[in-house]
Amino acid sequence: MTSLLQVVINGILLGSMYGIAAAGLSLIFGTMRIIFLAQGTVIVFFAFVVYWLFVKANIDPYLCLLIVVPFAFLVGLGLFYALFMRAAALEDKNVSLLIAVGLMYLIENAILKVWSASPRGLDISYSSAVISGWGLRIPWLRVALFGLALVSGLVVYLFLQKTRLGMAVRAAAEDMEATTLQGINSGWVCAVSFAVGIGLAGVAGVGMATVYSFDYQFGFTFALKALIALSLGGIGNVFGALAGGLILGVIENLTAYYLSISWIEAVSYGVFILVLIFLPQGLFGKRGVVKKA
Amino acid sequence: MSPLLEIKNLSVSYGDVRALMDVSLEVAEGEIVALVGSNGAGKSTLLKTAAGLLRPAAGHVLFEGHDITHLSTKHRVDRGIVLVPEGRRLFQTLTVEENLKMGAYLPRARANYEESLERVFGLFPVLKERANGKAGLLSGGEQQMLAIGRAVMAHPKLVMIDEASLGLSPILTRKIFELIVALNQQGTTVLMVEQNIHMALNICHRAYVMKTGHIVLSGTGEELLANVDVRKAYVGERGSKL
Repeated sequence: MTSLLQVVINGILLGSMYGIAAAGLSLIFGTMRIIFLAQGTVIVFFAFVVYWLFVKANIDPYLCLLIVVPFAFLVGLGLFYALFMRAAALEDKNVSLLIAVGLMYLIENAILKVWSASPRGLDISYSSAVISGWGLRIPWLRVALFGLALVSGLVVYLFLQKTRLGMAVRAAAEDMEATTLQGINSGWVCAVSFAVGIGLAGVAGVGMATVYSFDYQFGFTFALKALIALSLGGIGNVFGALAGGLILGVIENLTAYYLSISWIEAVSYGVFILVLIFLPQGLFGKRGVVKKA
Repeated sequence: MSPLLEIKNLSVSYGDVRALMDVSLEVAEGEIVALVGSNGAGKSTLLKTAAGLLRPAAGHVLFEGHDITHLSTKHRVDRGIVLVPEGRRLFQTLTVEENLKMGAYLPRARANYEESLERVFGLFPVLKERANGKAGLLSGGEQQMLAIGRAVMAHPKLVMIDEASLGLSPILTRKIFELIVALNQQGTTVLMVEQNIHMALNICHRAYVMKTGHIVLSGTGEELLANVDVRKAYVGERGSKL
C-alpha cells in the first residue's frame, strides 16, 4: 500500500513537468491555433542554459529562474516577431506549424553544435535530500518541481483573469477580429501570450535541469508528452493543462510499477488516442472549444 | 463645418470581386444615418473599411476632416470611430463586465471608464444585473445590447452598427432601435446598416440605398419611405425598378 502511494506521489511530482509544458502549449494554441511542436526543444535549450549557468558560474538552478524566465520571455517576444507574426495572420495555420517544426530542428542542431551530443544532468549538492515519513521517501527536488508548477500555474492564471492584458489574451483566443475592433493591438496580444508560453518553457527548463538527464534530442518526445497532457486536461484552461500533466505522470509511474518501464510509451500514447476519440474536449476543457464539423 | 465621417469615391475589392465601386457618403455630427439595401450590396464592406479592417483599392475615409484611410483600427478607435460588427461578436467566455472593459481598452477610454459604465448601465440596466455573468449566457437581445454597450465604452463620437436586428424578434428589434435613438440623443452619431428597412427609415435622419456596390438613392428617412421604388423593392410592394 505504501509503495503504491509512493508510486502515485512520484507520478504527480514528475508529472508537474508535463503540466508546465502543457500550460505553455495551451496558451500558445489559444492565440496562434497551432500545437507549438518546438516547445519541448525550447525547454531542453533552457535546461542547457541552466546547466551552463550552473557549471560556468556556479549559480543555483532555482536562482537561475530569476535569469532564465525573463530571458525566456524576451526570447518568446523575439521569436514571435521574427518568425510567427506574419504567419499567425494567415488563414492557413499549417505555415505556422511548419515554422515551428523548422525551429525545432534548428534549435536541436544548434544545441548539438554548442553543447555536443552527450547527455547532461546537474550534480546539485542537495540533490539527494529526501523528505521521509510514513514509510515514504520523497526527493526534495521533486517536491520543489511540483511547487514550481503550482506557482507558475497560479501566476499565469492571475495574469489571465485579473489583468487587462490577460483579459485581452482571452478575448483574442476567442475572436481575434473582434479584439482588434476594440482598438486592441492584437499583434502585441499574440506576442505576449506566445512569450508567456515560452516563459513557461523557461520554468520547465529549470525543472528539467534539476530532475532529468537530458540531451539535444530529448525535446520532441517531451513535446509529445506535453501534448498528451494537454489532450487530457483540455485546451483553454491553465489548471486543466497542469492537472493533465499530473495525471500523465501518475499513469506513467503506475505503468512502470505494474507492467514495466518499457510499456510506458505504449500506454501513454494509447491513452492519448482514447482521449481524443472519446473525450476530445479533455477532462477539464470547455465544451465547444472542439467544434464538431 | 466638415461632416464627422466622409467616405470619398471608395472602391473595395475582395480579390477579383469588386464589392464597392466609387461610393461616397457623409455622416454629420448628431445624425443617425441608415445604410440599406439587399444582401451583397456592399453595406458591411463599407463599415469594415471605415473601421480599418479592410483596405480600399481607391478612395478616402475622412473623420473630422482628417484622412484616416491608412490608419490602423486602433488609431481609428482612439479617434472615436467604433464598429459593432455583424453577429455581435461578443467574447462569450468573458463576463459582461469584462466585455465592457475590453471596449474601454485604450487609455482615452479607460480614463472615462466609470462615466461610460454608468452611461451603458443607464441605457441597458439588464447589463448591470448580469455584470458578473458570462456574455455567452445572455439572450439574443441582451447580447446585442452588450455589443452596443461595449462600443459605447470606447467613448466614441461615431458608432457604426452592422445589422443590429439580426436574429431578433420584431419586439426586440423595436426595443434595440429605441435604444439606438436614445444613444443618439445623448450625442453619439450613428451609422447603421440594416436589413429591416422600414424600421431603419423610421428612426434615421437620412439614409442611403445601396445596390451591388453602388449607392443608388439617398434622402431623408421620410423621403425614402415615401419613394415608390423603395417601397416596392424593400417594404413589400410589387413592381420595383431597384
